[in-house]
This record gives sequence, structure tokens and C-alpha cells, in this order.
Amino acid sequence: MKILVPIKRVVDAYAKVRPLPDGSGIDTAGVKFDLNPFDEIAVEEAVRMKERDPGTEIVVVSVGSAECEEQLRKALAIGADSAILVETSQEFDSLGIANELGAVAASLSPDLILMGKQATDDDCNQAGQMLAAKLGWPQATFASKIEVLGERLRVTRETDDGEETVELPLPAVVTADLRLNEPRYVALPGIIKARSKPLERRATAVGLAPKTRVSRYSSPPARPPGRKVGSVAELVAALRERGVL
Amino acid sequence: MAGVSARPTVEGGGGSFLSTTPDRIFTPEAFVGDERLMIDTAEQFSRKEVLPVAERLDHQEEGLMPGLIRQAGELGFCGPDSPEAYGGLGLGKNVSARMLEFLSLNGSFSVTIGVTSGISQIGLVLFGDEQQRKKYLPKLASGEWIGAYALSEPNSGSDALALTSRAERRGDRWVLDGTKMWISNAKWAQLFLVIAKVDGERVTAFLVERDSPGVSIAREEHKMGLKGSSTARLVLEGAEIPLENMLYLEGKGHHVAFNALNIGRFKLAAMSLGPARDAIGLAAGYALERKQFGRAIAEFGLIRRKFAEMASRFYAAESMLYRTGALIDEAFAISDHSAEGNRAAAEEYAIECSACKVVATEVEAFVVDEGLQVFGGYGFTEEFPIARSYRDARVSRIYEGTNEINRIFLADRLVRRAAEGRASLVSAGDSFVSDLAGRAFARFEPSERGLRDADQIAVASLSDLAMLAYMEQSSRLRAVQVGGFALELHRLATRWINLEATRAYQWLTGESVTVPPTEPVALDDLAEAILSKRGPL
Repeated sequence: MKILVPIKRVVDAYAKVRPLPDGSGIDTAGVKFDLNPFDEIAVEEAVRMKERDPGTEIVVVSVGSAECEEQLRKALAIGADSAILVETSQEFDSLGIANELGAVAASLSPDLILMGKQATDDDCNQAGQMLAAKLGWPQATFASKIEVLGERLRVTRETDDGEETVELPLPAVVTADLRLNEPRYVALPGIIKARSKPLERRATAVGLAPKTRVSRYSSPPARPPGRKVGSVAELVAALRERGVL
Repeated sequence: MAGVSARPTVEGGGGSFLSTTPDRIFTPEAFVGDERLMIDTAEQFSRKEVLPVAERLDHQEEGLMPGLIRQAGELGFCGPDSPEAYGGLGLGKNVSARMLEFLSLNGSFSVTIGVTSGISQIGLVLFGDEQQRKKYLPKLASGEWIGAYALSEPNSGSDALALTSRAERRGDRWVLDGTKMWISNAKWAQLFLVIAKVDGERVTAFLVERDSPGVSIAREEHKMGLKGSSTARLVLEGAEIPLENMLYLEGKGHHVAFNALNIGRFKLAAMSLGPARDAIGLAAGYALERKQFGRAIAEFGLIRRKFAEMASRFYAAESMLYRTGALIDEAFAISDHSAEGNRAAAEEYAIECSACKVVATEVEAFVVDEGLQVFGGYGFTEEFPIARSYRDARVSRIYEGTNEINRIFLADRLVRRAAEGRASLVSAGDSFVSDLAGRAFARFEPSERGLRDADQIAVASLSDLAMLAYMEQSSRLRAVQVGGFALELHRLATRWINLEATRAYQWLTGESVTVPPTEPVALDDLAEAILSKRGPL
């Protein structure tokens, strides 16, 4: 099986970010970047599938600046076989990314596209769905378990109503939820091995201009401090005071 | 080449910081992509696997520490800078030290992995023959075996060469007798690097397996800190080892022992900054939570100053440590990798290694002390982890050569290097402290005898000035290269460095000097950044 894993370079989930003074973006000076955690889960799952079936080939792809090589190398260190960097300075929204990934998928013909359900920077949660629609492939989003049954997949999805199990034929798009697995530590020998794994650079294929525009970034207002109440009566009074009751 | 940092131009060799100002130095910000990935893994391992079991480690729960070492070994942390041909990863000493810093957030784990990945292997790497390396290094580098280093004895500590352990050749075996003291990892180690005297005279290094006949381990020492690490005596009673387990040359064991210690001191500096890093984080977490007078104590000026000072001293020590690591890597890069070449490389920056050890351990002491102070009365209880940090830190200034013996060694070495034409005692004068150091060294002549005849207090004061000059220069050059908060941290560190320098100068000369005026520091912004990052910047 050939698995394509799209990954995104994002601001580290634990970094404190500030908007630029003019609100045009995020101040990334001195901020650490990392592999989007959901994508790391997708890479981990692909590597586990390869460990079960050594014939599996894993290609990771990222669309963005030259710095994305760091995250691609991390994915290679975890165990992916090769990487593609669609190198561009252009801004993309989810649809633009889905177009670029669609072009990469068309050239590689993977059996499975496995990716994070969303990126922790903009939390859009759209690229996977749009990509599946674009390719005309079945999709299973928010996967918490993936089983390969020959030419089909059985995927357990996490939904607001509970778990849902779906079966879908390959090729398919699956997006990873938090509980799919716990990624391994990136071991030093793997990191060293990743240095010599192939990384191909490509230009964008479609270059679709964004259809959405972020008009302004701002910090959320500071939350007013809570206060402790002594009794239920006092609580009810306080809620009435705020017009909640 | 991918994955290797761009190194600065080679500086003028060991001790040259006193007389020259390099254009650039290596700074920790310059570790590149995949080195950062390795460092990240080290930090994650420390935070997820080690810190949560700190209490259990302190109770020496059976199998826990060896299990962690094996796990760390699988990730590559037990022999990162040992050669690939012998199961290591062939990485540089500098990036290995940076990983070790992050692996060292807990002191007990730090000393265990520090010894098995460091001084237990470095002797073999530098001086072992092919067979010895092949036999032992892969086991140590993988974490399958734990290693130990045995030099000190009940009556020879700082005076290491007064050791009395004896080795005697009997037929096809060496027979060793003696007691080795303060052996870290004793309980778990399968291999000991033992220094003994052949015929009571010729200092020689031996590789002693735990299971050899006549080898035993005494009871665990009841220590003040590092309770999760193993420390005990190694007792050799007619211990028999094969002839081929003599390391390097008969009578040259001191080269093995002392060069292992040079690199060991450099690494110990990283092992001291790790716990200091964690202590700043612990104190920040507490200061943000603890409310007095209706406000988080992190908002109060005196508490904020503590964070700025802890982080600025941490920054200064860190600046000299990783500058030194890059220099050591360069020295090894140009070595021909013969035992002689390795010895020269390990020796080249011995002065800087001592300086790093002394400074980093004293910064650690300051940080755990002030960090504990932030906790107030709660810091004095074992309910909070800062008490452990405080106890664990105490030995850093004692082992790997006491800070006193390192101070005796440092200036002496510099004066002898100057006599050999390998260093100059004329200072660069690129700062207040450099200028002061120059005036102090001007009172002494380069001499092959070193400072053997000088007063200990004078020698230590000279060493202080040299160390402070090295630290100030490293901190300043890094600030210029990196900018941002580094400039603030450097300015604040300089206040402390200048005061310490005048104190040392006064001890040496009896003269008082005027400290230059302090530059303004954005203390509040600095404190805010440290608190919100919950760690040094």
C-alpha cells in the first residue's frame, strides 16, 4: 500500500503567540515551529501500518516555505520513506491546499491519504474533506481507529454522538483525531537516517488564490476573574444579577 | 552537510579568550534543524518519562532507573558522541551536551545517564584499542550495560594521584586490590573504568567487569541529595581481570583519568544547567499561582527581580558552555584520532572546561537557592519538588573536581600555556573585567612551573577573573549575535560579573576598584517573558 501523508508546519502548540501590532498577522519572531500534532498522529499511524505490512510505502508532503523541510525531516525521522516539498511563498486557504494536494495525489496515485483532521494554527478542519471531494474519493474524518481489510478500510470515527464505524473502499482520505495513537519519541538514529532520505522539491501545480481573507488578528480579551460564592442562594442571586436566570 | 551546524571560525586555542576577541562564537541558537529535533526529543523524554517518577526514583524503586536508561538507550541517548562504528551515533560533543542538559531536568537521572554516556565511555573512545572498543562500547552506547568511573578513594579525592589501589600482573591476569569511593552508578554498573597503580607506582587504567572474581559493591551511601542515583564503594579484593583489559599504556592512566575529566567537566556544566532550567520553571509556576495581598507573587518587584537574575546568570553560563562545546568539537575535528591526537584534543580546552564546570555549578546553586526562596515556607518542605532540586544541586560543586581544585588548576594551566607559547596573559581589554584580569595577570610571569609556588587565594582569584572574563565575553558576543532579550540578559549578567570581578581583584591585590556604572535593564519585560515561558529564555 502507498500512503500519502500531507503535513503542515505550524507554530508550536505550547508557544504563546501575539498578533502583530497592526493586526496583519501573528508575530512569529523567536517563536518555535513544529509539525502539526494531528499530522504527527497521521505520520505515526502510517508508520505503524508499515510496521505491520513492510510492503507499505509512506510519502509525506508539505506545501509552504523552504523551512517546511524541518517538519518533513521530522516525519522522515519517525519513519516515512520519502518527502515532497511543494515550495512556495504563496498564501493558501484550505481549498488552495486541497488543490495542491490533489495534484500531488494525481501524480503519485496513493492508495490512502492519511492526514490530521485539522491544523492547530487556524483550526480550519477543511482540507481533508475538500481533498476527498476534489479527488472523488470516499472519506472518513476524525478517525480514532483504522483497520485495513484487504482493499477496504474500517475506520472508527469520533463524533459528538459517540463512535461511528464506517467501511470504505480504497483509495480514500482519512483524517486523524487525537486518540488515534500516541506518537513515539523521535529517536536519534531515525533523525540521522532521515538526513539521507529523498526529499523532492516541486513548484505549485494550481496556485489557486485564496477565496477567504483574514481581515485582522487580535488577542482575545482578558477574561474577567471569577468569584467564589458562599451558598446556593448567593449563586442564584449572582446569576439573576447577570440576567442569566 | 545537512544536520551539521555552521561553526564559527576556529578561535586561537585554549585560553585565547583572555587575549583576543573572536569575530563570532557558537551560540545555542545556532543548533540547526535536526539537532533541534534531537534536543526536543531529549526534553520530551525528560518531561514525560523522568520528572513524573522523580519521587519513585528517590526511593530507589527496584528496576526503575535501569529501565529508564534502557529506554533512553533505545532512543540513542546513551552514546550520542561515541563513534558510529561502535554503536554510538558519532554526534558532536556540543549537541550531545545540549541534549544532556535537557535530559538532566531531574538530578538523579542526570548523573546516572551522564556517567554512563560520558566518563564511563570517553576513556574507551579516546584511548581504547579496537578490541576493547568493539567489546564494550556497543553495550554501553545502547543502554544494555551501565558504566561507571572509579578514580577517587577514601584517602585520595582532590589529590587523585595519591591513590593506593594496586594492580599486579600475575600470569595471564591483572590482579587488583583497593577501594574506590563515591562510585556513581555502582549498583547498576556492569563495567568500571578503574585507575590503579601498577607495582604501587605506575598509574594505569583498567576495564573491570562487575562479574569478575574479587569485585564487590559496598552498601549505598546515605546521601543528602541525588537519592535516586546509586553511589557506593567499589571493593577490589584480588580482583582478576584479563591482561587485555588494561586501557591505553601502563603508567599513562592519568592521561585517561584526567582527559575523561576534562570532557566530564564540560558535560557536568550541562548537567548542572538542566536542573537549574527546571528550577526556574518550578519557581515560575509557583509564583504565578501563589497569591498574597490579593495578587500573584509573580507581580511583585522583588520576586520579578529574582527571575531576571536567575535567567541572566543562566544565560551567561549557557553562553560560555556552548561556545566551549563548539571549540571542543573543532579540536576533535582536526585531530587524527590517534590516542595522542585525541589526548591533545581533549586537553586543548581544559581551561574552558574547568571554567564551565565552576560557573555552571555555581549558577545552579544560585538558581536553586533563589528558586526555593520564591516558594517561601513551602519550599522548605518535601511536599514541593524545589526542595529536591536544592538538595540535588549541592554536590555539583564538589564532584568532577571540587570548584576549589578547579580554581587552582585553571590559572596555573593558563600560566603554563603562556610559557609554552600557546596562550598570552596580555588581556584583550575588551571589557571592564577583561581589563581587570589583564592587570591581575600582569603581576605574574608565564612560567613552566605554573603557579605552583603562588598563594592559593591569589591563584583562585586569578582563575575567577579569567572565568569571569570568559563568561562576560561569551555573553556579550552572543547578545550581539542574537539580539532581543539576550541584550537585556547580558546587561544584567554584567552587573553581577563586574561585582564578582572587583571582589576577586581585591582578594588578589588588596586594592579596591570602582565598578563601572550599570546599564539600564528592562527588568519587567524580562521577568514577564521568563514567567510566561516558565523557564530561562
